[in-house]
Amino acid sequence: MSSVILAVDNLCKRYGDLVAVDRVSFSVHRQEIFGILGPNGAGKTSTLEMIETLRPIDAGTVVLDGLDVGRHPRQVQQRIGVQLQSASFFQKLDLKELLLLLGELYGRPVDPMQLLGEVDLQDRAKAQVEQLSGGQQQRFSIAASLVNDPLLVFLDEPTTGLDPQARRHLWGVIRRIRSEGKTVVLTTHYMEEAEELCDRVAIMDRGRIVADAPPRNLIGDLLASGFKKERVERLANLEDVFLHLTGHALQEE
Amino acid sequence: MRLWWKLTVASLKMFLRQKEAIIWTLLLPLFMVFLFGFVSFEGLEKIRIGVAGGKDESAERLAGRLGEVRTVQVTRGAESSEVEQLTAGKRHLVLVLPEEFDAAKGTALRVLVNDGAPEETQLGLLILRKVLDDDTFGMHSAPDRVPMTLQPVAARRSSYIDFLLPGVLSLAIMQSGIFGVAFGFVSLRKRGVLRRLSVTPMRPQDFIAAQVTMRLMVLLAQIVVLVGVGIVFFDLQFMGRLLDLFAMGLLGGAVFLAIGFFLAGIARTEDQVVPLANVVSLPMMLLSGVFFSRSNLPEAVRLVTEFFPLTYLADGMRSIVLEGATLPSLWLQAAGLGLWSIVSIWAAVKVFRWE
Repeated sequence: MSSVILAVDNLCKRYGDLVAVDRVSFSVHRQEIFGILGPNGAGKTSTLEMIETLRPIDAGTVVLDGLDVGRHPRQVQQRIGVQLQSASFFQKLDLKELLLLLGELYGRPVDPMQLLGEVDLQDRAKAQVEQLSGGQQQRFSIAASLVNDPLLVFLDEPTTGLDPQARRHLWGVIRRIRSEGKTVVLTTHYMEEAEELCDRVAIMDRGRIVADAPPRNLIGDLLASGFKKERVERLANLEDVFLHLTGHALQEE
Repeated sequence: MRLWWKLTVASLKMFLRQKEAIIWTLLLPLFMVFLFGFVSFEGLEKIRIGVAGGKDESAERLAGRLGEVRTVQVTRGAESSEVEQLTAGKRHLVLVLPEEFDAAKGTALRVLVNDGAPEETQLGLLILRKVLDDDTFGMHSAPDRVPMTLQPVAARRSSYIDFLLPGVLSLAIMQSGIFGVAFGFVSLRKRGVLRRLSVTPMRPQDFIAAQVTMRLMVLLAQIVVLVGVGIVFFDLQFMGRLLDLFAMGLLGGAVFLAIGFFLAGIARTEDQVVPLANVVSLPMMLLSGVFFSRSNLPEAVRLVTEFFPLTYLADGMRSIVLEGATLPSLWLQAAGLGLWSIVSIWAAVKVFRWE
């Protein structure tokens, strides 16, 4: 079994004149948390959506667990779990029912309580998605991406719009998923999140990958090049103050 | 198969937990039936008097004078055919004139009275009496009123509810098909639910099949509930078989669900669905003979409405309920709906968008 679970090679996407994804190549290893970083409009989501079979690939190849995504979308779908940025779920079904139904779509039995436990939502099993807080919705969305016991989980900006506690809670959930042997690919535009969470990051800008390495190495390289921050780094920042005042321990939002 | 069933059950669950959906599909049509069923519109109906026999001029004059009364609609025919119409509930009174009718001679008139419509027959008899009196008192040689012998005939009691209920039922099938599907589907697309589903191995046709099955189950429930309420609360004279209603309803359902999917294909947002659906459904709701008979429409309009899918459905449902017609005898309506369903399914497929 190759240690590379996802190999992206010269991937391209155009929308009319706009080149959204420009010859992007990277690979992800098993059990890695791989981050794709970049400002809005950098092409992160388009890249993910091509890998996830949601968008046709204009050029280049994506090989996932040995399968060509363009040629075997169905088999790929069985192996991946996807959390989309702006997707929602059926209304009027509770979390447990939603997970069971999603399991049916993959043709496999599901233990909804175990999945909800994975994202600390056991006590909301009877709730409907719209009754959940933002952080809970994101966690449920992750639970939903795990129904088919995927090898690889894609999370598109999972923490965008969440408060610091909810974000930290989610990081814990993501680490737990990795510790169960799954690989995680996520996008974010929070640098501290990438630094804290990811084993390796690819930085995207205007459709291209401009760097691809572990966060520590990227920072080390920058410092080695003689870079100095203009301001002296403070020993704490406002986020630390906020977390200190509102309780460092996880709070159920 | 398992997936289809599980999806159908889930869709049904979602549907039943949606208060608005229940209101639209069941409560609103029931409300219409109760409203129109209790507010009697029968007073608006013309009193239909058949005049049979009487070959001479005075008979024609009598028929003519009756016809001049605004609320009376006179038909001339042979006694046998007029009596047949009376038994079917299509005449309120049948006046049988002797071979040589002469009001002046005091010839007795035989009047056959529809048993099932007391209000209309009472009023009809009063009008008849008045017309006869005017006629005879105008002649000095007539000393007495023309005697009338009344003969009650057990006729099929045909009330407005018998007419209305199959119409409202058809309307309910149309509304929940068009609005339910179009609105529901656009909303699922807009909220990204369909997008989320498309990263799973589920194929769009699995989902559509479940949606259609769920809607058709709801449709059968609509038929059972409305007919049941009609029978229990309004003494609906249900002459047909439920099975024929189901078959006709499903044919109509196919058309209106397809129209719903068609509109879902061309509408981008929920806000666009409502006006589009109204453009399609309002003319049918008003002109397809749901609430009132199409025979009162201007000829040109009537001719056009002949081809509306809701007209086929309402006519078919009505024939089953009122006359106990079976599907083979309603081949015209069935074929009309069949043709419409082919056209609308084709159009729906043409504009279908998952995302």
